[in-house]
Amino acid sequence: MIWRNAMEILQSVRYSKGQFKIQQMVFVLVATMIFFGIVAVFYVSIRLGSIKGDVQDERQEAVIAQVRKMSGTPEFIWSAWEDCASCVDIDKVFLLKNRTSYQGFWKDVALLKLVRVYPRYQTSECTTVSYPRCNEITLIEKPGYQSYEAFVSLCRYDGAIEQSRCELGKVVIGFEGVEGAA
Amino acid sequence: MALRGWKVQHKRRAQEEIVGFVLIVVLVVIVLVIFLGISLRNPKPQQRESEIIYQFLESSMEQTTNCSLSEGASYLPLDDALRECHETGSSCADGMSSCDSSEDTLKKILNNSFAVGPAYPYKGYDISAVYVVNASGQQQVEPVLNITAGNCSNSYSGNSYWIPSFPGSIIVSAKLCG
Repeated sequence: MIWRNAMEILQSVRYSKGQFKIQQMVFVLVATMIFFGIVAVFYVSIRLGSIKGDVQDERQEAVIAQVRKMSGTPEFIWSAWEDCASCVDIDKVFLLKNRTSYQGFWKDVALLKLVRVYPRYQTSECTTVSYPRCNEITLIEKPGYQSYEAFVSLCRYDGAIEQSRCELGKVVIGFEGVEGAA
Repeated sequence: MALRGWKVQHKRRAQEEIVGFVLIVVLVVIVLVIFLGISLRNPKPQQRESEIIYQFLESSMEQTTNCSLSEGASYLPLDDALRECHETGSSCADGMSSCDSSEDTLKKILNNSFAVGPAYPYKGYDISAVYVVNASGQQQVEPVLNITAGNCSNSYSGNSYWIPSFPGSIIVSAKLCG
């Protein structure tokens, strides 16, 4: 009787051992898959992060190229030299500053200004008193925009040296509907 | 008694298997952490062509310098001053050489345009102008000027601008290092 019971226990143990082995293998496989899955997700997220950054850079460059085209519009272009695509007539833009007929002319634009990069003067915003020894000409400024800027040449006739003078500047455009600065 | 011995032996074997499995997992994790650490510490050097830098170079070349070649003559734009610097190396009316005048103007423009240093997005810049000419099938390169600031690594965005200077060209290249 005792022998018989012992055999039954042994048989049941053998049966459990097989189950245990299968379970063990399943656990190991699942754990390995989860582990490599996590590693793959981590790797892909890092790769996607850098690709997203690259795409954002490309888009920003494309927008900046479009912003630069503003210097070629009739309201901005410096027409004294034919071969200067980046030259802006700063006198012309300054005259546009208080023109009521140009209000609402640039659609969806919340910010439009010219900024002198070099040389810099003490006065920030240009007025009829401070012009041309000033740094900024703001044509439009409304709240809520994302701004982009492009390098241009700010040109005007300088009576002091009796010739045209060009200085490095930027055209800054902010588009409506998106908060924050680029 | 025999059954008890078998159970103890079975338990020890299972423990050994778990220890082995844990060891393998720990080893794999260590290898992965080392791999990730190395790959994140040494990011791939990136060289990118930048529209902003091209715009900067193109616009800067129109900057009127303080260099006029004689009293009463017109002040040269930066590209003409660079051309003058390479072709004749002549002096401006104020006594400064055309090379020094163009270098001085470009340095001032750069200082006002890009803040560089460890605390800024751009760590440094490297601007160089070289005269390139193809003579009898061989390319000759002569340096015109070079301006550097901060630290430049292998990762940078850059572009170049060509100034015609017969029979060759002056190539102004700019690198902004991130």
